[in-house]
Amino acid sequence: MGKQKNKFLQMVDFLTERMPLHNLSFDHIVNEKEVPVHRMSWAYYMGGLTLLFFIIQLVTGVFLLFYYQPTVSDAHASVEYITFFVKSGFLIRNLHTWSSSCMILCLMVHMITSFAMKAFARPREITWISGSLLLIITFAFGFTGYLLPWHQIAVNATKVVLQSIEEAGHYLPGALAALPSYIKEIIQGEVSVGQATLSRFYALHVVILPLFFMGAIGLHLLGVQLHGMSPGVDTPPREKERFFPVFILKDFWLWGIVFLVVFVLSLCLPFESFYSYPLFEAYNALGSTPEGIKPEWYFYFVYYPLEILPFWVIMLGMTIAQAGIFFVPWIFKNTSRKVLSIIAWIIAAYLIIITLFGQLIYEVFKGSGK
Amino acid sequence: MFDLFLFIGLPYVAIASLVVVSFIRYKFRAFSYSSLSTQFLEDRWLAWASLPWHLGIILILLGHLLAFGLPGVWSILVSIPTFLLVVEALGIFSALLCLVSLVILLIRRFVDAKLQAVTSYLDVVVLLILLFQVLTGLAAAIHHRWGAAWAPGALGPYIRSIFLLQPDASFVKDMPPFVKLHIASAWVLIMFFPFTRLVHALSVPLHYFVRSPQKVVWNSSRSQVRFEQKIQFDNEKRLFLKAAFGAGASVALLSLGVLDKFFRYFLKQDLTNAEESHILSQKLQRLKQSADERELELERMNKDSIFVAKLSELSRTRGKYFIDYQMRPALAFSDEQGLPILISAKCTHLGCTVGQELDAQGRILCPCHISYFDIKTGQPSPGSPAKLPLPHLGWALKDEQGNLLMAQDPEGRREGSIDPSQAGKSLLFIGKRFS
Repeated sequence: MGKQKNKFLQMVDFLTERMPLHNLSFDHIVNEKEVPVHRMSWAYYMGGLTLLFFIIQLVTGVFLLFYYQPTVSDAHASVEYITFFVKSGFLIRNLHTWSSSCMILCLMVHMITSFAMKAFARPREITWISGSLLLIITFAFGFTGYLLPWHQIAVNATKVVLQSIEEAGHYLPGALAALPSYIKEIIQGEVSVGQATLSRFYALHVVILPLFFMGAIGLHLLGVQLHGMSPGVDTPPREKERFFPVFILKDFWLWGIVFLVVFVLSLCLPFESFYSYPLFEAYNALGSTPEGIKPEWYFYFVYYPLEILPFWVIMLGMTIAQAGIFFVPWIFKNTSRKVLSIIAWIIAAYLIIITLFGQLIYEVFKGSGK
Repeated sequence: MFDLFLFIGLPYVAIASLVVVSFIRYKFRAFSYSSLSTQFLEDRWLAWASLPWHLGIILILLGHLLAFGLPGVWSILVSIPTFLLVVEALGIFSALLCLVSLVILLIRRFVDAKLQAVTSYLDVVVLLILLFQVLTGLAAAIHHRWGAAWAPGALGPYIRSIFLLQPDASFVKDMPPFVKLHIASAWVLIMFFPFTRLVHALSVPLHYFVRSPQKVVWNSSRSQVRFEQKIQFDNEKRLFLKAAFGAGASVALLSLGVLDKFFRYFLKQDLTNAEESHILSQKLQRLKQSADERELELERMNKDSIFVAKLSELSRTRGKYFIDYQMRPALAFSDEQGLPILISAKCTHLGCTVGQELDAQGRILCPCHISYFDIKTGQPSPGSPAKLPLPHLGWALKDEQGNLLMAQDPEGRREGSIDPSQAGKSLLFIGKRFS
């Protein structure tokens, strides 16, 4: 009995150290909060930028809801209607696509720098875990949102991804082998990607994922408020600046500039101009799949390896990586910042190279297609 | 006669005073060229007044200088409505800044004991003239709209006439009272200028932009630490003020640019008749397409066999797409004997729809990951990502009366036969029993 009580008290201690809610006061959050100044200080802005892009997504997303119609016969037409006939509809839509990519980019940089700066270290484990959740939710946003315009590339890319889930079944033993195709059917809702899939993705994209995101980001920001900025470097910084008003103003200043850039980009350059048009025709269930079906660039880091290496290697690697992200605070508990930043550089280099030169590497491995 | 005094006599007195007294004062009382800062006597009110005052007045003076100094350029600029609007809005905003700060400066002169000890009559007179000047300017701007556009043309010639020594008051004598008052009090201000603390404006402090800010404080070793903290606090306050100003301006610009666009998003779309009918016909077409697909599905639920094509329509090199009993895409070709080859078009790799064109080796291509399939065997060519063959579909050929002529199951077992002469007329079906 006594032992159990100890366990319980241990858990309470664990939680109070991670979530010191008694720190939640105006003085702590506004008057005393400070941001260390050192050569990695720029990394402190990445989380805020991600938040800015999320806010843009939220606002433009709600705007798009006013005109978008989630049915297989109307989805593509309603997106075209927004783009060509609704006043500044193209702008709202371009903002939504541009800002989604920017959000994922910032999120990745945020995650890698937080890793390199050992910002996950005790007592900030919960902040890291909620951040990892946010990463996965954001990728889910990207995946579900991709299908909604119901054009060729969207539907076909979704088909391919869902099919690869089923593929995983071949590598599982016994009764488990049926599990992936079961999961696929739950996601897909019918035998092939159709109205049921669209309805599911729509519900996920506009209701369920935002709810989860709000919860996770609440926890994440609470963690940041309770513990303040992580020191980020080994030697205690000589200089610090107050979060309010100094840092937050710089933050808003950056938001202003970044928003302006994204706004101008969205005014001038549709994200779709990077692809050839036939991919954006309405999905045709009876025709052949057009060439050039690819996921969004932020999935290249799994897409190209998937094309080149045996399937099971990637599946295993992805599963380990996904689970591993959540255990980072414990795996790297005693790793020095120096080693962490080397690992971070390796990850960053991998992501950059595979995203920029994936097609080239693919062609080297596979020949140019014939 | 009074007009002649105000707009011709007074100006020359004022200019003479400005030039002569400024020179004498600079020559003989150089150290009196100062703004006589009172920051160390009272700085809380001052912070809220001095900065906005200088910001506002510099903007306004720049505007006056540009409008009257470069009337040609200016008139081109203000012919752009947006520019005129921005200039007027900025002008009125700056005037309000000046007005509020002058009132604060006056009040602090009257309520602070320390300040009263150093306040001279001229200090108060200067403030009052400035206040009068700002008020008349603001009143003129509000009562006689778009001054930025009309003033350079209407008043420019008068000012030039003064400086070209051919004074002509006729340009101003019929002006509205506010404008006349504004001009007259400007000359009074210029006349007083060299006698007062305003002379600090002549020491154009351009290096202030690059040096770090200075603060006038009491000097004592005891309060050193306190001042260091205070200076840091003041730095933050300065940053905050600047940023708040910037944020205010950017929010204003954003509201103009962004909100304007965002707001329009919710307006009714004005479409031409052609656009509207284009949209509607497209919508109908899509609905029909969905309806067709649903019909195909229903047909597959209820019917034992489904028509694919006339045998004569099939080609040996270009497949015809159709939908099998599981609603998956499939392709129909014809072989050398003129008999059909029905093969699934759903790639066994990741489910893309395979292309319909046959290459020279009798293969079809899945474009997603470049898998080639032989349509006779269904086998993928070596090295393709797909490892499993595309399955064949069973088929049946019937004549026009619906009599079964020949059938083949998915494994290739045939029953019946067909007379080549009849082949062209026969119809190709897929059957439920094969699926």
